[in-house]
Amino acid sequence: MSKETKNKPKLKLAIYWGAACGGCCISVLDVHEKLFDVVAVADLVFWPIALDVKYADVEAMENGFIDVTLYNGAVRNSENEHMAKLLRQKSKILIAYGSCAHLGGIPGLANFHNKEEIFERVYHTSESTVNKERVEPVTSYKVAEGTLSLPEFFNDVRALDQVVDVDYYLPGCPPQTERFVEVFMAIVTNASLPPNGSVVGATEKAQCDECQRKKTDNKRIKQFKRLVEVIDDGETCFLEQGIICMGPATRSGCGYRCIEGNSPCQGCYGPPSTSPDPGAKMMSAIATMIDSNDPDEIIKIVEQIEDPAGTFYRFSLPGSILRRKLIETQT
Amino acid sequence: MEEKRIGVYICWCGSNIAKMIDVGRIAKETQKFSNVVMARDYKYMCSDPGQETLISDIKKYKLNRIVVAACSPRLHEPTFRKALEQAGMNPYLFQMANIREQDSWVHIDREYATLKALSLIKAAVSRVYHHKPLEKRSVEVNPATLIIGGGISGISAALEIANAGKQVYLVEKSDALGGITARLDLSFPFLESVRQMLKPKIQQVQAHKLIDVFLNPTFEDITGYVGNFKSKIRQNGPEKELLFGNIIVATGLQAFNPEVIPEYGYGKLPDVITSLEMEEMLMRGNVITSNGKEPENIAIIHCVGSRNSKYHPYCSRTCCSTALKYANQLRSMLPDSNIYELYADMRTFGKGCEEFYSDSSRRKILFLMFDQEEGLPNISKAPQNDSSEMIINMHEKLSGEEIEIPADMVILMTAMEAQNDAKDIARLTGISLCSNDFYIEKHPKLDPVATTTDGVYIVGTCQSPKDIVESIAQAKAAAARVLASIAVVNMEVEVTTAHVNEDVCCGCQTCIMVCPYTAIHFDEEKKVSVVNEALCKGCGTCGSTCPTGAIESRHFTDIQILSQIEGLLKSEKESI
Ligand SMILES: Cc1cc2nc3c(=O)[nH]c(=O)nc-3n(C[C@H](O)[C@H](O)[C@H](O)COP(=O)(O)OP(=O)(O)OC[C@H]3O[C@@H](n4cnc5c(N)ncnc54)[C@H](O)[C@@H]3O)c2cc1C
Ligand code: SF4
Ligand code: SF4
Ligand code: SF4
Ligand code: SF4
Ligand code: SF4
Repeated sequence: MSKETKNKPKLKLAIYWGAACGGCCISVLDVHEKLFDVVAVADLVFWPIALDVKYADVEAMENGFIDVTLYNGAVRNSENEHMAKLLRQKSKILIAYGSCAHLGGIPGLANFHNKEEIFERVYHTSESTVNKERVEPVTSYKVAEGTLSLPEFFNDVRALDQVVDVDYYLPGCPPQTERFVEVFMAIVTNASLPPNGSVVGATEKAQCDECQRKKTDNKRIKQFKRLVEVIDDGETCFLEQGIICMGPATRSGCGYRCIEGNSPCQGCYGPPSTSPDPGAKMMSAIATMIDSNDPDEIIKIVEQIEDPAGTFYRFSLPGSILRRKLIETQT
Repeated sequence: MEEKRIGVYICWCGSNIAKMIDVGRIAKETQKFSNVVMARDYKYMCSDPGQETLISDIKKYKLNRIVVAACSPRLHEPTFRKALEQAGMNPYLFQMANIREQDSWVHIDREYATLKALSLIKAAVSRVYHHKPLEKRSVEVNPATLIIGGGISGISAALEIANAGKQVYLVEKSDALGGITARLDLSFPFLESVRQMLKPKIQQVQAHKLIDVFLNPTFEDITGYVGNFKSKIRQNGPEKELLFGNIIVATGLQAFNPEVIPEYGYGKLPDVITSLEMEEMLMRGNVITSNGKEPENIAIIHCVGSRNSKYHPYCSRTCCSTALKYANQLRSMLPDSNIYELYADMRTFGKGCEEFYSDSSRRKILFLMFDQEEGLPNISKAPQNDSSEMIINMHEKLSGEEIEIPADMVILMTAMEAQNDAKDIARLTGISLCSNDFYIEKHPKLDPVATTTDGVYIVGTCQSPKDIVESIAQAKAAAARVLASIAVVNMEVEVTTAHVNEDVCCGCQTCIMVCPYTAIHFDEEKKVSVVNEALCKGCGTCGSTCPTGAIESRHFTDIQILSQIEGLLKSEKESI
């Protein structure tokens, strides 16, 4: 560690999880011994997974007290929303950390349903549920001891920037830990940061640019296959083997870790800034690869794609142009 | 960034628009849109005073984006773009909102039609905000022409162009010129000798200083674009590079193989022959059956492989007249024979052809009608002791009876179909095929010999079945188009092309195979795709295919289209 950084006042760092799986917080812990570098230059003032700091303590902070907040997870309920707004107020720099905060992520797939459908499934029809009284969560409930409250479950899952202004986005599910350290150190050392609203810790080019697999212009697909259905030669572009790879619609920055593990890219790093809707982009690209001019055959080929919505919008539904499935409401 | 100053002009089109849309109200509302500096309504925007108002406003109010809400852009977009140029503006900083064909003409409620016009204008305003100036480009036209196919069509085009003093490269894949025409004996309806007509033409071609004929050559991919095409050709000798400005495709047709029709037994019954085999016999001058005898009973079957959903849905157009030609020739050669014409419909259009039909019916030829839907005539070998070789069973449509016809020889009027390699030629020249594999013209009525690829023309039977006269007419029409383009010297090319942003392109190469004009190639060094903008027609296919958004389709960028949609859907609010 250089002298400059040593003598500087320590940065105040907060990490929070909204609708998240916990993986993002773990990815921060994954810095291993580098965590000492981080805590040498930063005080962690709030981090629910590791520190016992209450919401009230955050509320008591002055506006702008926190230097950097990493907000991971999507905004699914009123608690997530409240904390997003609160942390925005208290932080100089707010970073949407991970796919969920960036574009809605895996929890965002719930936008293919609405609250009613989700409650019906979770509290009534799921195989492991017995709920004859049809009890459902309510936001407030009176008991003898007083009133209990629960956050409100929203109809839509939103990405962080659909709720508050976001300074930077650090994509990934979870972000590659090295990328986090790089970005963090850049903030610490006052290195020139990209303009507000930028995606950091990822590049403008899509995965194929770094991917070492052999690719040609001969992407003609007669049959879509799942990974288990082919003997992957480990060399040929997945798409050219009929396996859907989100690589061409996904920023690189992850170090093509999935592809290097012989698994196609799932798309967690989100699209390059030139593409407003990675799902739509990838679907039109895939459509041109289908090797048939016969409408009936084309339908058959397309039907081989397992879970198309989940495949093409796995990490990006709330943040895409599509945002959610349109659900007819009775009027 | 320069301040956007948008002018909006709402046309009444006399009463065409004004009667269904409240143009005055729209002008007032539009004035409130952000960045709109001037909004007016006017009786006829395309008239001289209309255009002059536009031009003087541009200068007076320093307008730098223009929207005209009027008729279809197909009609007057060029008019207003010219007006912008006259005012010193780039013509692409303009957008039309079609409030006539898409609004006033098709609605009956004035209030809704007015609101719709407002939405359409809002969409145009939102879009034009993002328009960028585009520069016109032109290319010099190489005066040489490549003609692919040395049938009567290719020969006619070659002579027409070479006689006007311009170089022609005529490429023929077989080892002789003439195509199908060279295999014909007489021509309908006047029964003149085809050879006498064709031979001098071929000799002229061979002697012409400005026509280089390549027989049976191998040639490489054609690269380049209108005005400047390039290819390499080899014909027993060293490879030669050819440069040319235009291409005429005259690859003709091939005959349908009737083996696939079980009812006719072609290939199994030796005396069932095709029309081209008949031509051969007629040219030799003796018509005899497989066992060396003159046929007593001859049947001619029409529509073999044509007008039948199992084979080709279309009419091959020349076979009815050709069938009559045979009946007439055979009647003269074999006066005592019985000649039967088994037809589905008699289609003898064209000068002199209907007369040819009525004359034939007076020459002891028996016409029998069948219905393809109800089943084809069935040919079988006759029993041993029968007087004829074969028996044809058919349902005669006009009499309604099942009949038996004796036959010693059956001539199948086989369909004309596209060449097997039509797809390769289409790919080579960047043109498209219809569902029957014939090349597609630019416009079926207004532009029958041009294609959607500038500088590539299609003539003769490769475009659709036709006779010699029609083939020659097309060949001469294409020759005239080519000569006109050479006369222009410099030709304007498309400006709304695609462009790859190298900083974003990931090299996935998805775009390359979708380009119908083979305008994209992969730069192995930079690892990005590159659009050759001289070849690009701005069709937009690659832009919508590119999964990264690296391709910008000029004048149809994502931001332009998304803003337009947003403007359309958010007309009540501001959306820019
Ligand atoms: C049995 C029969 C009888 C007919 N009788 C009459 C009649 O009596 N009167 C009449 O007006 N019409 C008649 N027709 C129609 C007439 O034959 C056509 O209209 C005429 O041949 C069309 O000429 P074309 O040059 O367009 O094509 P084609 O004659 O087919 O010539 C095409 C030429 O292109 C060459 N070629 C093809 N592919 C390539 C390639 N990839 N590269 C280089 N060269 C290539 C071929 O080898 C051929 O030489 C008849 C047709 C048939 C089949
Ligand atoms: S981005 Fe991935 S790792 Fe992070 S919270 Fe969301 S699901 Fe978990
Ligand atoms: S599509 Fe996937 S496998 Fe193919 S080159 Fe791109 S990242 Fe690699
Ligand atoms: S390869 Fe794709 S899915 Fe895998 S980590 Fe990278 S961006 Fe995420
Ligand atoms: S499709 Fe797009 S990203 Fe892929 S090679 Fe073409 S321009 Fe590049
Ligand atoms: S827009 Fe793209 S696909 Fe279309 S012609 Fe141009 S380069 Fe080819």
